[in-house]
Amino acid sequence: MTDIPVIQLADVTKTYHLESGDFTALNHVSLEIKENDFVAIMGPSGSGKSTMMNQLGILDVPSSGKLYISGRDVAEMSNLERTHMRRDTIGYIFQKFYLIPLLSAYENVEYPLILKYKKRDTTGKATILLEQVGINKDMSAHRPTQLSGGQQQRVAIARALVNDPKILLCDEPTGNLDSKTGYQIMDILCGLHREGKTVIIVTHDPKIAEYAQRTIRLVDGRIAES
Amino acid sequence: MIKGDIFFNLAVRSVRLNFLRSMLAAIGIVIGVVAISSMGMLGTNMQLEVKEQLSATANTIVISSDTVRMGPPGFTPSSSSSSGITKTELTKITSIVGSNGTVIPIYSTSGEFTINSVAGRGSIYGIDPGDIGKFLSINQTYGNGTTEIGTGEVLVGSELAEEFNLKVGTRIRIGSFSSSSRPELRIAGVLQPRGTVADGVSTDNAVVVNSNWYTNQYGGKNEWTQVNVIVKDVDNISDIESAIDDKVNTNAKSPSVRITDASSQLATETSTLSTVTTFIMAIGGISLLVAAVSIFNVMMMSVSERIQEIGILLSIGTEKGEVRRMFMYESFILGLLGAGIGGASSLIIGYSVVDAMIGTTAYFFQPASILYVPAAMLIGVVVCVISGVYPAWMASNMDPIDALRSE
Repeated sequence: MTDIPVIQLADVTKTYHLESGDFTALNHVSLEIKENDFVAIMGPSGSGKSTMMNQLGILDVPSSGKLYISGRDVAEMSNLERTHMRRDTIGYIFQKFYLIPLLSAYENVEYPLILKYKKRDTTGKATILLEQVGINKDMSAHRPTQLSGGQQQRVAIARALVNDPKILLCDEPTGNLDSKTGYQIMDILCGLHREGKTVIIVTHDPKIAEYAQRTIRLVDGRIAES
Repeated sequence: MIKGDIFFNLAVRSVRLNFLRSMLAAIGIVIGVVAISSMGMLGTNMQLEVKEQLSATANTIVISSDTVRMGPPGFTPSSSSSSGITKTELTKITSIVGSNGTVIPIYSTSGEFTINSVAGRGSIYGIDPGDIGKFLSINQTYGNGTTEIGTGEVLVGSELAEEFNLKVGTRIRIGSFSSSSRPELRIAGVLQPRGTVADGVSTDNAVVVNSNWYTNQYGGKNEWTQVNVIVKDVDNISDIESAIDDKVNTNAKSPSVRITDASSQLATETSTLSTVTTFIMAIGGISLLVAAVSIFNVMMMSVSERIQEIGILLSIGTEKGEVRRMFMYESFILGLLGAGIGGASSLIIGYSVVDAMIGTTAYFFQPASILYVPAAMLIGVVVCVISGVYPAWMASNMDPIDALRSE
């Protein structure tokens, strides 16, 4: 474990140029997230949570300020380098699961491995991860539409973990699940944090935020409380 | 390699998921491939058929009177001017050819004849009986015929005999139905079918009469329509042709005779056929253009229906090139489907068309003919792949955030 933050935002501003005028979604935000942190990001709608997640997930770049992931300035990386960083360093868990509908549960988990190694997986890693999140072999042959919401989110967690990323970015991971399944998913995420992952979770639910070591509240694109 | 590629698998599954739509788009390619290959094969089979028939008379030089013998504006040729190969020209030709070949002077005209009270029209050839057997042969199934015909006898072509149910001994009248003078001649033999020939003597729908009878009937003695030279060694053909050209066509600006052989006729015929074939294939090609538009449309639909999926792929670390590849595979699969079905249909449809139009499929499986099938299939696949380039490019350049948000 090092003291260099896994994620560092230095005076980051994100402005969208809309027809109705400029809209600043993130306003001079500075933040450091260290390795093995468990951070919850909360805030009302329109407070900039999604914009923050897009920045942390390198799906977008800041309009001004600096964003460092694992010590690297994102603005200085090429498109391909950012793609590779998304593939290797960050695991995404979405509210709507976002599994690839044409692939089976197993293939969804295997997919990032194929992206990384350019060949089918022969190590059995995908199967092991699926078993760890509670998806048995029979279920792993099913397409996402044949699985329940909880099962789909478990598959999505296995997919996020398969390339052994340092950071897990979770955007309302329990938002589409009943409370019992939601807590089961949170237990899995807590377990991953205990194993050393850096977990960042965006949520509306204060009970979910209680799992985190640190809560960041966003209001109007600024950090109100950290 | 390609089979294990996850992007190929995704493309296959997408085509399967939208099977009906994909097949409808592929039908355009099927039609295009069938049109191009069938027309191409038809043209090639025609060329091969003509080539085969003409090569039977490859050793024959045809010397005909140059009909483009025009004077200056206002010049009217005198009625007594010769309109055929003259006796002097024939003598020169005979002496040039010598023992290297056989010289056959031929009279011919187009005329009417009456068989069993039915009027017909066709070519009438006047040939010395001693020369007939040198290049025409008798089909003995119509009776015991001979090429040694007297002045009251006639030989008839195979199609004429077939059509009018003629046999040796039947009588036919030569001359216009309304004419008072319609001499009657006895059929002395039915000729073997000749098909398309390069020696200018197409006898299948014609009659052959004794040259003496011909000049008595039509006049023009010693003014032959053409002189055929059958050379002994085909390799000498161009030497003999240039020798005749030197001696007979003394005036280079206004040659008196035209000298042709099978190779020049073959070149003309195949060039004409190939122009027509290319033109028809180009029309077939238009159907491929229409198909390209429909493939483009289907690919655009596929992209717009899968925007969110593209967003997922891009956000979890799929490279732009890999997304592009997935959609290119999809258009490639549509092309393969269309070209595969089109290729198989081309064999069946092409075979039927060639059989119906040419009457023989003897040349159908020759490389020059059958190669149109893979060539048209390749064109079909390439057209599909090209149609998929823009949709694939569009998919790979989507903004992952916008794509994920789309419902």
